[in-house]
Amino acid sequence: MAAKDPNKGYVALLGWTLNAIDAAEQFDRRYVVVAPEWAREFAEANDIPFLSWDFERLNDRSMEIATTLQEMGVDVAIPLFEETVEWAGAINAVLSGNPRLHGQAVLFRDKALMKRRAQLGGIRVGIFEEAWDRGDVIRFLKRVNQTLLKLDGDPNDPIHLKAFDKAGCLGHRVIRTPDEVDHIPDAEFPMLMESHLDGWEFAVEAWIHNGKVQFLNISEYVTLGYSVFVPASPELEAWRPRVEEEIEKLITTFEIDFGFIHPEYFVTSDGTMYFGEVAFRPPGFKVFELLERVYGFNAYQGLILCFDPHTTEEEVAAFFPKEVVDANGFAGCFGVYPRQRVVSELAMPAETAEHPYFESHELTSPLESKVTKRNAFGTHWGLVYFTGDDPDTMRDLLAHQEDLDFYV
Amino acid sequence: MSDHVDASADLAGASTPAPARPAPLAGPAPRATFDQLAERFEQCLVRVERASRFAKAGVVGPLLEVGHRLLARPGGAGHLYEQIARIEAAGTFTGTDWDHPDTLQPHLASGTLEHGEPALGTLEMLSELRLLAVAQGQLFHLQISAEGAQHFLAQVLAFELDRLFGPATEADRQRGDHGDAVRNVLTFIAEGVGYDHVLDSLIAEIERILAQRPIMVDNVKVMITRVATHVADPEHTTTAPSLGVNRLVSALYGPTAGCREDPGVEVYRQRVAALDESGLWQEAREFALAMHSTGLVSPYHEVFLHHVNGEREDLVGAALGLSRTGTEALSCYGPLVTRLIETAITPDTLQAIYGLALMVERGVLFDPAVAPALWGQIGLQAAPAVEGALQRAGTRQPAHTMLLAGTISVLGQPLGLGQGNNPTCQAARAISMWALAAPDYLLRLITRATRDHDIQMLFEGEPISSAELGAGVATAPVADVDPVSVLLVPHLDRIYAEMGRRCVGREGDPHAWVNREMHGWWVGRETALVVDLASGDLTDVEQFVRRFYALYHPLYNHNRPVVHPQPAGIAVTDSLGRFIGWHAISILRVGVDPTDTMRVYFFNPNNDSGQDWGHGVVVSTEAHGERFGESSLPIGEFASRLYLFHYDSCDVGDMAAVPADEVAAVEALARGSWAEDR
Repeated sequence: MAAKDPNKGYVALLGWTLNAIDAAEQFDRRYVVVAPEWAREFAEANDIPFLSWDFERLNDRSMEIATTLQEMGVDVAIPLFEETVEWAGAINAVLSGNPRLHGQAVLFRDKALMKRRAQLGGIRVGIFEEAWDRGDVIRFLKRVNQTLLKLDGDPNDPIHLKAFDKAGCLGHRVIRTPDEVDHIPDAEFPMLMESHLDGWEFAVEAWIHNGKVQFLNISEYVTLGYSVFVPASPELEAWRPRVEEEIEKLITTFEIDFGFIHPEYFVTSDGTMYFGEVAFRPPGFKVFELLERVYGFNAYQGLILCFDPHTTEEEVAAFFPKEVVDANGFAGCFGVYPRQRVVSELAMPAETAEHPYFESHELTSPLESKVTKRNAFGTHWGLVYFTGDDPDTMRDLLAHQEDLDFYV
Repeated sequence: MSDHVDASADLAGASTPAPARPAPLAGPAPRATFDQLAERFEQCLVRVERASRFAKAGVVGPLLEVGHRLLARPGGAGHLYEQIARIEAAGTFTGTDWDHPDTLQPHLASGTLEHGEPALGTLEMLSELRLLAVAQGQLFHLQISAEGAQHFLAQVLAFELDRLFGPATEADRQRGDHGDAVRNVLTFIAEGVGYDHVLDSLIAEIERILAQRPIMVDNVKVMITRVATHVADPEHTTTAPSLGVNRLVSALYGPTAGCREDPGVEVYRQRVAALDESGLWQEAREFALAMHSTGLVSPYHEVFLHHVNGEREDLVGAALGLSRTGTEALSCYGPLVTRLIETAITPDTLQAIYGLALMVERGVLFDPAVAPALWGQIGLQAAPAVEGALQRAGTRQPAHTMLLAGTISVLGQPLGLGQGNNPTCQAARAISMWALAAPDYLLRLITRATRDHDIQMLFEGEPISSAELGAGVATAPVADVDPVSVLLVPHLDRIYAEMGRRCVGREGDPHAWVNREMHGWWVGRETALVVDLASGDLTDVEQFVRRFYALYHPLYNHNRPVVHPQPAGIAVTDSLGRFIGWHAISILRVGVDPTDTMRVYFFNPNNDSGQDWGHGVVVSTEAHGERFGESSLPIGEFASRLYLFHYDSCDVGDMAAVPADEVAAVEALARGSWAEDR
């Protein structure tokens, strides 16, 4: 455990992520982990400061968590998962006496509200609408394609459907024909519908302190839902000035003073940047781990640093490296989905395992032989990590993994 | 501000977003170098060192992943051994069973290496390197002493003798690098601990294998060579070499007075040229004695045989250790044997000298078709595909030399055949059966396959040509087998599969038709099967057992001997009596052993037939009246694992005479093991 700075308060981590807890343990801030009761045994066995809380239920005890943390001397609550973003907003509203923080968090949790807010802030977004039932989806699909001056019989442009409050690719579907609408389960409504943008999609991770971006990473998606690497290739990094402008707009529009945002953008072929969505929590696909591989700094510690309003400018300046130039290579990961309908075992392709860029994988042997059909973008079976010096090799390598069987 | 505008304008024109999907990587896939892996391991190790105790598990994964790849490389085990103290202190074993080395079990360690996930196998290997450091006093561990560590490692090595000395098995190959990694670590540890500790169990193992007189003895020779190097090293004087070690080492490297001190074949060649008459006779007799007592042929034997071949038939006979029967055959077929020695016996095929001796001794040359067929095979040019297959199998002589030597071995040692690590027991059994009972037919198949790369058989009158068929049971090239098997097994395997295919849709077990068509006219026309095909349950056990006894047991079959080897099916069980799979064997003879127990003697194409099938059923390969290469079981125990045999009703003796308690005992043994849930 690192020596703790007694002049600083506590931070509360909302959610159970061992890497985040380890980062807090090794950092100079005192901390407490707020997580469900199932984590108590492990926490106590390992002397991890722990407060049990059920994030599933919003009820009249909800104020209790905020006051408990306040009495413990906690200055700020940091959300680690999509499901705890709103909780963090509510708690921080109490801790900092700023009720607007809760409203801000709600914007991050509801994709339709988020888009509206962005649009109000002059940020460019695609066409979007809320869907409350299947009729809405069919109507939107027709209207979008009518707008594109498609004739009867022309293939439709697809539309994207996303659950309001799910993280990342969960619940993300692409629909081209009215037939496909029938496959959407009732439980997924209401959702957000967006027109399809043909372009280069990427994500940004921005650590913000005092309303200023302290570190901005561009994560290059090789294939959405499959693979990502950091820092982005020089071709994408060439867009950094434009990306910084867009991030400044987001900060202003969403009134973000402290914390961390993870937005996604499209660049279309005419060079226009479209805002996709933004999350107020660490990204999936282990981008934090990738950043640590190439920059050496612990991204979770950066999170604690930026969320904590008591952090000094000097601390922040000393903590973060210089983007891109301080990276000692490229780190990427690939999310594995079984390609066959029936699988019996994990079989790392030899060419992957032997590749100089290959680092490790977190795949496990299949528990079931039947592979569930992917109806939405779904959840991968585990990540495969790579590091290396050349962005083109990295991109080709990650793309090539899609053609390989990791489960046979 | 204007900079930004300009920049984006340029970009919009210059770069096309959404790069096209790259083409699949061309050329051979790049491979990480040792140094790259070592550097990666260092990074992973630092991450483990830095992680909090509760977060070790998450960062140990990559360490094991990279560690595994390093261990699979030459020098990897040594590299990690140098850092083992750091690896231990970093907390690699934290929260795992390996955190308590005093509770580790050698046999479980062995199981983890063989069957565990690579990550667990790597933990096990790292743990063993750690114990080696403890054993050598380079690392102090609170929970285990240097002696304890030494003892543990010696036992692990003894369990893993095959891995340590044997070739890569099919299972190893299927597991990719894992086999290499385990082998590297074990070799490194064996060198550290010293082979002394494993010698005793090793010698017993070699003796047991040699007692079965396999054709393929390359592994055994490697083992003996390692032992020989070890005992000859003056640094290893802690234990005096045992009698067993000396006997095996001398059989290979100093079987006679003329080469006792292993002078090298060139020196020996000069010595032989200078020997007088009595010296030559003594050398010949000693070679023969060493060869027949171990089944191994010394490289010096080959030099001697070529020296006397063509000049002195009497000395050739003596060097082959022929009895009067063999000498008679030699005198009838002297020119043939001379030519066979000239063309087939080389330093790479010298083990065929043993096969030659047994072939001549067997009298098989008196078969009217065999000698001409062998003459025909001398100088027979192999088809290019055959040449390639043998080269891939790792031979260093031209195909015709290898195949001629292989043919001699097979004819001399029909029961020395093994299936290698291939799922082709049927093909191995067939070759053995023909070598024993239809050598002229086998020679015909060898000729066809060598020259034409094709074998034709009839199935119920319809021709089947192996050249026209796709893969059979074996999907990979056969490995670790003799040249004749390399040649024939792919053909036989495909034909066997095709015959099975032609039985699809028929009611009953396809073996009922296939075995007869495949093996020969002597296979019984009717088929007894104790398993109901539809349900998998046992059916009519009593009838099955009584029929088997009345067909094979001399007391109930009017004392009729087994005339030809008969194919039969066995339910193989492991040492706990659990069902493993169906297996092809052939029944060779039934008779009483030296203790008056009625036994079935059979051929098992498995490479090592001494197997414990559980519940006291232990297959014997020596000391119960077995001939070289035979396996045996008391007839009741054999019947308990039998599930299929063929018969002709006219041969079945008195089924009613078989005692009920004997039948019940057989059924109980079957139901207690493989048929438990049937």
